[in-house]
Amino acid sequence: MTEVKPATIVLDGQEVAIEEGETLLELAARRGVEIPTLCHDPRLVPAGACRTCLVEIEGWRRLAPSCTTVAADGMVVRSANERIERHRKTLMALYLTDHPAPGEIAPHIVDGSEVHRMAVECGAPDDWPRMAPIRVGREDHNAFIQFEPERCILCARCVRYCAEVEAVSAITLADRGSRTTIATADDLSLMEASCELCGGCIDVCPTDALTEKLALALPAPIPDKLERVRTTCNYCGVGCQMDLEVEREANEGRGRVRRVLSPPAGTTTNDGNLCVKGRFAYQFIEHEDRLTKPMVRREDGLLHETSWAEALETAARGLLGVKARHGSDALGFVSSSRCTGEENYLMQKLARAAFGTNNCHQCAAT
Amino acid sequence: MTRKKRPDIAAALQQAGGLREGASRQVAKDSGVPEAHVYGVGSFFHLLAEPDVELRVCTGLTCQLAGADALLVAARAQGIEAVGCSCLAACDAPVPLLRGREVLPAMTLDDVRGVALEALRSPAGEHWQRAVGPELELDASASRLLHAPSYEGASFAKARALGPQGVIDLIARSGLQGRGGAGFPAGIKWRSVAAQAEMQRYVVLNADEGEPGTFKDREVMLRRPDAVLEGLAIAALTVGAKEVYLYLRGEFDRPWRAMSDAIAEFERRGTFGEIAFHMHAGHGAYICGEETALIEALEGKRGMPRIKPPYPTEKGLWGKPTLVHNVETIGCVPAILERGAEWFEALGRTGAGTKLYCVSGHVVRPGTYELPLGATLDELVEAAGGYTVGLKAFSPGGASSGFLPAAERGRPLDFKALAEVGSMLGSAGVVVLGEGVDMAWAARQQLLFFEEESCGQCAPCRIGTRFVRERLDAYIAARDGGDAAAMASALSQVADVAWEMDEGSICGLGMTAPLPLTSAMRHFPSDFPGSSTGDFPGSAKLG
Ligand SMILES: Cc1cc2nc3c(=O)[nH]c(=O)nc-3n(C[C@H](O)[C@H](O)[C@H](O)COP(=O)(O)O)c2cc1C
Ligand code: SF4
Ligand code: SF4
Ligand code: SF4
Ligand code: FES
Ligand code: FES
Repeated sequence: MTEVKPATIVLDGQEVAIEEGETLLELAARRGVEIPTLCHDPRLVPAGACRTCLVEIEGWRRLAPSCTTVAADGMVVRSANERIERHRKTLMALYLTDHPAPGEIAPHIVDGSEVHRMAVECGAPDDWPRMAPIRVGREDHNAFIQFEPERCILCARCVRYCAEVEAVSAITLADRGSRTTIATADDLSLMEASCELCGGCIDVCPTDALTEKLALALPAPIPDKLERVRTTCNYCGVGCQMDLEVEREANEGRGRVRRVLSPPAGTTTNDGNLCVKGRFAYQFIEHEDRLTKPMVRREDGLLHETSWAEALETAARGLLGVKARHGSDALGFVSSSRCTGEENYLMQKLARAAFGTNNCHQCAAT
Repeated sequence: MTRKKRPDIAAALQQAGGLREGASRQVAKDSGVPEAHVYGVGSFFHLLAEPDVELRVCTGLTCQLAGADALLVAARAQGIEAVGCSCLAACDAPVPLLRGREVLPAMTLDDVRGVALEALRSPAGEHWQRAVGPELELDASASRLLHAPSYEGASFAKARALGPQGVIDLIARSGLQGRGGAGFPAGIKWRSVAAQAEMQRYVVLNADEGEPGTFKDREVMLRRPDAVLEGLAIAALTVGAKEVYLYLRGEFDRPWRAMSDAIAEFERRGTFGEIAFHMHAGHGAYICGEETALIEALEGKRGMPRIKPPYPTEKGLWGKPTLVHNVETIGCVPAILERGAEWFEALGRTGAGTKLYCVSGHVVRPGTYELPLGATLDELVEAAGGYTVGLKAFSPGGASSGFLPAAERGRPLDFKALAEVGSMLGSAGVVVLGEGVDMAWAARQQLLFFEEESCGQCAPCRIGTRFVRERLDAYIAARDGGDAAAMASALSQVADVAWEMDEGSICGLGMTAPLPLTSAMRHFPSDFPGSSTGDFPGSAKLG
């Protein structure tokens, strides 16, 4: 048998074996070669639209987008040289002419725009005449998602995410040419569109064109006092991983959650995706009605703080009392969809084994 | 992978009266396409996106020379909801108006002033075949694309007898190059489609003719719809396709009628067996002339060009191998079958075949002229009755080819010789500009066109077309106001931006869009006094 020579390319002078079907961008990342991107997201079909990731392929007349070009045996690829450097500088200088200056960006959102970071990184001139914004925003009464079209660079990550990952297609590229923007049908509010308010579009946005409205209402944060805390969403048993953006010193030291952010795609089982509850329904964390300690209702009819032992004891006594007076089937147990599978199992065990009834339900079962 | 076919939502929106409130939702309900996507498609195409516009006036360069702005003002003074629009492929009959989807060619100020919308009449009447030449007899030296139709289907029968391999060899030997703009050898494309492993294949006619200064495809469809259809049928037979799609721009009402009548005639005769023709109307977007944008539009999407490779020959319509040809290219095919490859090749001077040159602007008889490939500007204008004023500049192949100075009047108008001077034959839409035309003004008209027609998908083109036009505006304001400092700085980024648009754009629109300005600055420095092209490290020099 003859040896089949593995397919390889030469990347910046180094021979690299190809993994079947991978793009030049993926191959470069595997080798630790960094190529800037704006419209790329590993969850999405590559669009090749932002043009930041262009590389040079020997024998090709034009620079090629590394995010869409599949590595083919024998390719000789350069990820950096004078031509590519000049391209990046000029491209980023152009982006800056159609983008608000760093100071004009909302101070509430500290991520800023990837465009500014990238422009600085590649040394793009920032003194080119700036163009007046021609894409104007519209009022949208939804509570969670803010869109500022003049900050949008039309990478279409939001649109593709909404269609390809969420399978919702609530938003689209609209109009064309320099007036191209992101819109719902007839510019309806997201509330009247098919939007599920998953907030994924905010997460994938590389600028701050799409932002969280709730955070905009808070006082501006002190950037270096912000922390990201990885946690598990407790709204359901799926167990999505999420990052809370926390200011520990806010609220007179009680702390504040400003936003819920997605872990990077590909790093968690939920792949960075969240639903409306995990993404936006975090206000309960600081809500004054929230129970954070065990409580029992005493003779005065009011709830009083107590120990876990007393609380459990009180509950058990009450339940056993009902069973004694009216029989087991007078009891019913309703478990929450916020519980895990294991917790739901324990709940039915409690109903059947401890109290002798099959009256057991889980709120997501209907 | 077979892609799911989307219903024609653009046609559904047209039927709904355009992108009116609620139309997207209704079409979404009927078609199953998400309403946001319906809206995205509708807002892309001007004829759908602006349902309240009653009248459009061509404000392209040639029509501007003929006073288009005054017609627009006159129409508005009548209370007509009128807007300017891009070239209507009637530059030989300026100024054309578009009422709904009906073209009214050759309108003058007198035809518009004081006339109500419904009462507007074109002096050209119902038929808008225009001047052609130089010879109209059925002589041996011409490809006969401007002559009388014939529904015999003799060339198709010959192709059937010859077999696919024989036809491909014949087309390759004839030297036929694409007439849509790129000049790609037709034989290579046919061979490539025929060689694909995938057996479902398509043939597509590109009749989206929108390059400013170009109208030859219109004339061919009006005069020889039979030749176009027979060429398509031969192509389908040869590459193994059963379905042929014809994409006509939405403003081609009369060519549409000519083509659909001819399809009916051939169907009545049963000439082409089981090959089926499907007609598809555009809705006002120049970019859909770019073949992959056209394919996207055929698939019911926004007309945004695809990343290439893969080319349509490999993955085209619904992901299947697709042969896309321009009207004129495909129209040459029956004559090549009939008279042979050698005959066709010998028709040309510096390249194979004759070429339909469109000429408009400052010439006596604007029109479509069939000359040997490689004829010069002077020969072409002579066929068109001569110059009306002294020659200053010309655009050899549509807006995308930029401008050349009078000194190039003797250069062969072919693919190679024009590329040598940084221009191109493109669509052979020749626009002649006489003495007295301010080249900064002329360049501005072309920049406005590209800015309006960019699909907006990629940053170099979306931002660059507007940036360059705004810079030129700043320069013209400074020049006319005598502000020397502003004159010196206004255009200083243009060379760099032009370089980047060429390097970084996805498709040919963005790559060539700055050329009208950079070529005007290079060849007509006296129209750009006191300007500088910039000194950003590594700056491209315009000289
Ligand atoms: C911006 C742009 C616009 C184009 N417009 C047209 C057009 O209107 N008609 C056309 O035939 N080709 C047009 N083309 C060229 C097509 O992409 C394609 O090359 C052509 O249809 C192939 O046919 P051909 O080989 O017969 O020329 C355009 C290309 C670009 C980049
Ligand atoms: S919030 Fe989710 S569903 Fe709504 S537009 Fe954004 S991505 Fe689409
Ligand atoms: S809103 Fe953000 S994600 Fe969407 S296209 Fe604009 S920049 Fe990209
Ligand atoms: S170059 Fe212009 S027209 Fe072509 S894909 Fe890019 S934005 Fe669209
Ligand atoms: S990341 Fe490749 S073009 Fe945007
Ligand atoms: S029809 Fe007006 S410029 Fe072509």
